[in-house]
Amino acid sequence: MALDPTDYAVISQALAAAAREMGEKLIRSAFSTILREARDGSAALLDRDGNTIAQAELIPMQLGTIGSVFQACAETYDLDSLTEDDFFIINDPYSGGQHLQDIFFFSPIFHEGQRVGFAASVAHHLDIGGGSPGLSPNARDVHSEGIVIPPTKFSYSRDWNGGILEKFLRANVRTPLQTMGDCDAQIASNRVGARRVGELCSKYGAARVMEVMTEFQNYSERRFRAGIAAAPDGVYHGEDFIDDDGIGSEPVRVRAKVTIAGDRIEVDYEGTDAQVRTLLNAPLAATMSATVSCVKSVLTSPDIPFNAGVSRAISVKVPKGTILNPHYPAPVRARMNICYRAYNATMKALAQAVPDQVIASGFDTTTSGCLSWLGPTGFSVYLEIYGGGYGASSSANGCDAIDMPMANCANTPVEAIDQDYSFFRVERYALEPEAYGHGAHRGGAGFQKAFRILEDNATVALYSDRFRSEPQPLFGGTPGTRGACEIHRNGEIIRLGSKDMRDLQKGDLVVFRLGGGAGYGAPADRALAEIETDIANGMLSEETARRIYPQFAGRGGA
Amino acid sequence: MRVGVEVGGTFTDLVAVEDGRIVLTKVPSTPHSPDIGVMNAVEGAGLALESSRDFVHGSTVATNALLERKGAKVAFITTEGFRDILHLQRHDRLNIYDLRYQRPVPVVERRDCFEVTERVDAAGEVILPLDVEAAAADLVPRLRAGDYQAVGICLLSSYANPDHERALQAALEAALPGAFVTCSSDVSREFREFERASTTTLAAYVQPVIDAYLLRLEEKLSERGFGQRLSVMQSNGGRLPVTGMRRNAISALFSGPAAGVVGATRQASRSGAGNLITFDMGGTSTDVCLVTEGRPGISPDTVLDGLPVRTPVLDIATIGAGGGSLIWIDDGGMLRVGPRSAGAVPGPACYNRGGTLPTITDAHVIRGTIRPEAFLGGTMEILREKSEAAFAPLAERLGMSVPQAANAALRLAAANIVRAIQLISTEKGHDPRDYALVPFGGAGPLMAVEVAEELGLDRVLVPPNAGVLSAYGLIASDFSKIYTITRRTPVDAAASDVVRGLYAQMVAEAEGDFRDYGIAGALSFKFVADMRFVGQAFEIAVDIDREALPGLTREQLVEDFIAAHHRVYLHGASARQAIEIVGFRLEATRPIESLPLLSEKELPDRPARQTAQLHTNEGPRDVLVVSAPSLAPDAPVEGPALIEGYSTTTLVPAGWTAVRDGNDNFIVSRKG
Repeated sequence: MALDPTDYAVISQALAAAAREMGEKLIRSAFSTILREARDGSAALLDRDGNTIAQAELIPMQLGTIGSVFQACAETYDLDSLTEDDFFIINDPYSGGQHLQDIFFFSPIFHEGQRVGFAASVAHHLDIGGGSPGLSPNARDVHSEGIVIPPTKFSYSRDWNGGILEKFLRANVRTPLQTMGDCDAQIASNRVGARRVGELCSKYGAARVMEVMTEFQNYSERRFRAGIAAAPDGVYHGEDFIDDDGIGSEPVRVRAKVTIAGDRIEVDYEGTDAQVRTLLNAPLAATMSATVSCVKSVLTSPDIPFNAGVSRAISVKVPKGTILNPHYPAPVRARMNICYRAYNATMKALAQAVPDQVIASGFDTTTSGCLSWLGPTGFSVYLEIYGGGYGASSSANGCDAIDMPMANCANTPVEAIDQDYSFFRVERYALEPEAYGHGAHRGGAGFQKAFRILEDNATVALYSDRFRSEPQPLFGGTPGTRGACEIHRNGEIIRLGSKDMRDLQKGDLVVFRLGGGAGYGAPADRALAEIETDIANGMLSEETARRIYPQFAGRGGA
Repeated sequence: MRVGVEVGGTFTDLVAVEDGRIVLTKVPSTPHSPDIGVMNAVEGAGLALESSRDFVHGSTVATNALLERKGAKVAFITTEGFRDILHLQRHDRLNIYDLRYQRPVPVVERRDCFEVTERVDAAGEVILPLDVEAAAADLVPRLRAGDYQAVGICLLSSYANPDHERALQAALEAALPGAFVTCSSDVSREFREFERASTTTLAAYVQPVIDAYLLRLEEKLSERGFGQRLSVMQSNGGRLPVTGMRRNAISALFSGPAAGVVGATRQASRSGAGNLITFDMGGTSTDVCLVTEGRPGISPDTVLDGLPVRTPVLDIATIGAGGGSLIWIDDGGMLRVGPRSAGAVPGPACYNRGGTLPTITDAHVIRGTIRPEAFLGGTMEILREKSEAAFAPLAERLGMSVPQAANAALRLAAANIVRAIQLISTEKGHDPRDYALVPFGGAGPLMAVEVAEELGLDRVLVPPNAGVLSAYGLIASDFSKIYTITRRTPVDAAASDVVRGLYAQMVAEAEGDFRDYGIAGALSFKFVADMRFVGQAFEIAVDIDREALPGLTREQLVEDFIAAHHRVYLHGASARQAIEIVGFRLEATRPIESLPLLSEKELPDRPARQTAQLHTNEGPRDVLVVSAPSLAPDAPVEGPALIEGYSTTTLVPAGWTAVRDGNDNFIVSRKG
């Protein structure tokens, strides 16, 4: 490398710091709870051609494909005609985007008249129109899910701040304060990134900064390839499924064939089931993201920066017309759950190659819970993403009640909900004892969150999975646990499907139950002290401990 | 005489000042019982405590109790349905690609978490009343059985209405004499239950430890004849009499780094410098803090051992870059500095205590900025060849000479420090070029000018005796206490009346407290409103000018907020959206009467001037070495030069000039 190694280390770390600052400011100046509390947004810096350089570590699902989403814009417009006042915006899953709620903004970065890179931000927006507030579980095509923004170039001075794009968006969303405020936060985040890159160019020269951008990708690629090369060559197979398509009761399967050859890896989803009529399809960008995240997490150390260099060593084949790469206009709102099964199938295949590096299946399901109500002053929409328990590994128990591997949403504090919503109140937010799989290491526990409805005419909508099937263990552990959504009304319990929507009555209690992860290794190999700690902390009954763990039963079980 | 004693991880430093005479003592710390080290320092300095009028103490006792998990056994009590908030935390991961992720471990186990039936809403209205007698009847036997030393209570929405917490506290204190009961509303009056609960349990966790420690220290001091007031440094850079600290031990969690910032600020102010970036580089880490017009920045919250602490602290950014930080090449071929450290054992390779890996200190030895014969007054053996041997493999992999590799490592360390400074300056909308850099700690002045060059600063101010600045900061600190309150207030026509009313109320509370502490004299106040656009969740601190308070208008509030928001986020220049105030913060300060003087320690055996060799990227070159105490005021030293004091060395590179001013500060400035 011709580049001075000190310059390289200094500038690359400064680029990473700038991306982190962009993410921080995106979250801190946001308006919706989904962005400011749940932190369902991401930010990145790209090189002048749109390859990802550095990212704010927020949501793996969004981060995996910022660069490929950008390419949809690059194919539509001549990048050399861009000015500092321009930006790209896109949410269309059928031209490279994810689901409609994730709106991407890309802003070119100029230094002394030369384009040196792009600043990118993406946020999950609370409402983007469509059939129902926040979430439309009954959508049968992508248009029922919200407004579609193809890759489009706009001018900030002309089209925002009262311009046509802003007016048009504002008129088509139910929660303009939050959606438009969050767009402002995205634009500002890009501006922060542009300013920091500009400062670096002023100091070190644009040529050197761009050289570092290139080398930073090579660096990630080298480290990623070293991780692949250390795994044994071979062809490995894995399979997993979601409960159903939301209409019928047959599982929908994902099949993964993983081929490791030297420092290259290929994942082929041949044999995966066809696309479905409901919102469970995943656009290609989402499938790619899930696959790369899985392989990166298993084969490399967590500190390797995720940029375009990582994608170069991996190829992913996804047959068109499958649930992982559907034809237009299939709905895709709930793409996460089939992506998790792609993640699980790839992980199971890798388990044969590198058993010590993988983890058992966690609950690995995104549960999107939405309560909405049309009150006297307009729509009130509460949307929260729930995780569950992580799968156990060869060295540790799975983490309890946390967001799942492809996402990283924080919870919305109960006191923030109390301030912002008058039509319901959180009554319980708690770990679920015994909701996990056992093993030499146990899975992470599931949890529940329960809401008391305080007004008539409210609605609950959700999508989730694993209401029927359980997360699968590895090497002798026991399976994790299922999820559920219930309405408790006048002493009666109404069980909802995993993709459902219901009208509510004042006084109802809506309970979301999120499952726990599966175990790793035989329960007989678990340390007695851990079992006793779980019992003392009320996470395990003595009765269950005697049944599952022979070493506990053998010591008398008193 | 005024005495300051700072207990650090390795050394306990004492500074005593009387009539311009300064006594410095350094003794080994005694971590199992830090008060022994304190008394050893007093002994070693030969102080007559009978005549001391002021004794100020700073220690890492609270921090260590937490880091080593040696605090009290704590019971946690919260609203029914929410027993698990300490363990659920915020549901997100700090490292997103780590499959074996484990969340930070709270100081309370699940078995020690209890619930009471009650509920208050966000407006402070009681939805479900608390039956105190029933709650106590349920809890007291369980708390007795658990043998808890402390209880932390955090009920939902208690920031808006603390009545239920207070009632429960009274009942438990009556039933459990000897247990410390802490209410969340007394520790942090802000929303977000997990962060407030975390802060409350941490306060409960360290309270008995601090209390016992301070009691022991008070006894020992009075046995030695000390009859005046003992006061203790807080995380916000102000001190409190020991009685005040006993009620709020958590405010001591970050007192160590705070004392250094105060010392630097006070010493720099004597040379008329008010806008500072303090830069404290020690053995394992570096702390930086932005000081504007003599006031260190305050952050409303921080994190310790992964756990959130929502209590005002000096806004200090810490990175793992110190003299002992290891230099290495990762598996992608990139040069890295820290965060792993060689620690005190084995230490840098040049200490010859078994360390073979290269550190920042070794890089200095190779470059020549640390001269073995002058290190710590020449009292410690330094082997340059060990440093070179440690660097050789790394230099070979980089295709550089050993001195080039050492210089590369130092430049990278400086860049890491620059990024920490950007966190507290550019990221918060401040231009570092408006500030002077004030380095201290053993390694700060060695690196300061390089850091200043990277940041584009023109001026570095090196205080005398920069190695013991923290202990000086103790006796130079004011009495202060910060009051916060959450009160959502729309910025409308009535807002200015609300602001004035709350100001008066908070001032009255502060005046009452200081009276109780027995601190006489007029207080000075700084008043801040935490503001945001309606719909946002994070606030921007907006200073409210107390002079302008009587005539405060809605328009003024809007204008000040928009300007502050734009400075940080680069948007918000429009006042179209509704704005609200979320909370208020009052900093009450009783300034100390006169500032003690800090001066350079004499080095009688050192030649005033000599020549040494510096290994730069361009090869070896001769530099002037000046003994700091020998330098007359206002006699300029042109770089390249090294200025050696007792505890630190300042590198003055080519293109910079150093002058010792009348206050014993070295002012290093860029030529031309």
